[in-house]
Amino acid sequence: MFMTRSEYDRGVNTFSPEGRLFQVEYAIEAIKLGSTVVGVRTNEGVVLAVEKRISSPLLEPASVEKIAEVDSHIGVAMSGLTADARTLVEHARTEAQYHRFAFNEPMLAEALTQSICDLALGFGETDEASMSRPFGVSLLIAAWDEHGPQLFHTDPSGTSSRYDAKAIGSASEGAQTALQEAYKKDMTLGQAEALAVATLKQVMEEKISDTNISVSSVTLPEADAPEPLKFACHYVPGSARQPVFHIYTTAEVKAIMDRLTA
Amino acid sequence: METMSRDVAAMSGYGASSAAAGPTMHQWSPYVMNSGTVMAICGKDFAVIAGDTRMSVGYQIQSRNVGKLLKVTDKAVLGTGGHCQADTLNLQKLLRARMVQYEHQNGKTPKTSAVAQLVSQMLYGRRFFPLLTKNIVAGLDEDGVGCVYTFDVVGCLERVRVACDGSAEELIQPVLDNLLERQHQQDKPKPPPLHVDLSREDVVNIVKDAFTSAGERDITTGDHVDIWVIDASGVHQEKFDLKYD
Repeated sequence: MFMTRSEYDRGVNTFSPEGRLFQVEYAIEAIKLGSTVVGVRTNEGVVLAVEKRISSPLLEPASVEKIAEVDSHIGVAMSGLTADARTLVEHARTEAQYHRFAFNEPMLAEALTQSICDLALGFGETDEASMSRPFGVSLLIAAWDEHGPQLFHTDPSGTSSRYDAKAIGSASEGAQTALQEAYKKDMTLGQAEALAVATLKQVMEEKISDTNISVSSVTLPEADAPEPLKFACHYVPGSARQPVFHIYTTAEVKAIMDRLTA
Repeated sequence: METMSRDVAAMSGYGASSAAAGPTMHQWSPYVMNSGTVMAICGKDFAVIAGDTRMSVGYQIQSRNVGKLLKVTDKAVLGTGGHCQADTLNLQKLLRARMVQYEHQNGKTPKTSAVAQLVSQMLYGRRFFPLLTKNIVAGLDEDGVGCVYTFDVVGCLERVRVACDGSAEELIQPVLDNLLERQHQQDKPKPPPLHVDLSREDVVNIVKDAFTSAGERDITTGDHVDIWVIDASGVHQEKFDLKYD
């Protein structure tokens, strides 16, 4: 009688006799209800595109925020319980700023992903500050650090992996298949933008528009020639070219969609 | 006790024996000054950092062979002079631990600028009970150019071309300013912004001369000098003898 699933899905830190943590598995299920998010990595940058569900015509689309900047070189897109993501994003922002404070350099994407996973896995601990249940959210992390452009994925179990292209959320299966077919290693950033938006267009239930999706990218723009250095004390570590994470304006999203239909 | 003056007796914490002397002030200091000198100079593709190996308390020599340099990474060395040896050891141990942590968390060896920033944080963390350490970090920056960072006791950091800290600072720094910086000499060429314009051999010779000169007048600088040269192939260690006295 103790072998039924319901006996072991109450405590977040109790394994079932088959070695499963049901609450974590249910949290992963929660992401399958979330809106679809697509990430594509190229040598020119990383693109994140998300579907925004506009549940009412009276809802202000700009208030639905599913992409967040963590630091100037890192951004995340979320699917699942987006309120949970705010805790993770806040933690990630603090870690990224602490790293700049302590080491005078931007944080590596992998280290930041790992620190998010540390928090994601810290649920059920007895101290007041920690979360009582797993975070019901999955993140795609787009970053450009000294190892170049990268795309990471995290889930409620605190597992992270690096991808060339990844889809999460309710239509992730179809979207992942579409990405697998169309992805090429040598894509330009423009092609990656088109692929991400086209994939969303293909899997979204509602008709895609420039207001019910959100797009962002991290790129390495050309920099102005630096001023000649006069004193060692003015030296700033790192190259003059700094990566930039940018959430697209409605006009920029519209431009991508116009390229798709053209 | 009779031969000890009242002031010395009071300062040493033993208290005065004479009742007629009036109230006695007892004091204790958390710091011991073990003195000694470190200096660093950086060139186009190398940096030289040096520190003498004498450890003293007042007029007494505690050891002739206590180094002041710590290899932090293959490209960064920390030198601590004008110091309390206990504080130096504590700082070195903590820094080593933080470096290992950094390598595990970030999967890479920290850049010299990151080491310098971390040292600054560790010193400022003791803002209201500072470690009695005068630090210099020397090494190569991420472009392979020599770099030297100086700190005050509470962690204010600056990247410079040459630096000197400790008991012989006043003896050595003007010589470095004259030979290498030349900032106030109208007829002399100025060095480039990030490093001095001399060769590695010249710089090492200046370091040897500077320490030999300092040893002539400063009783807490002597015995040997550790001279470490950091270049792309690693940290090259050399020992140079000063006078035993």
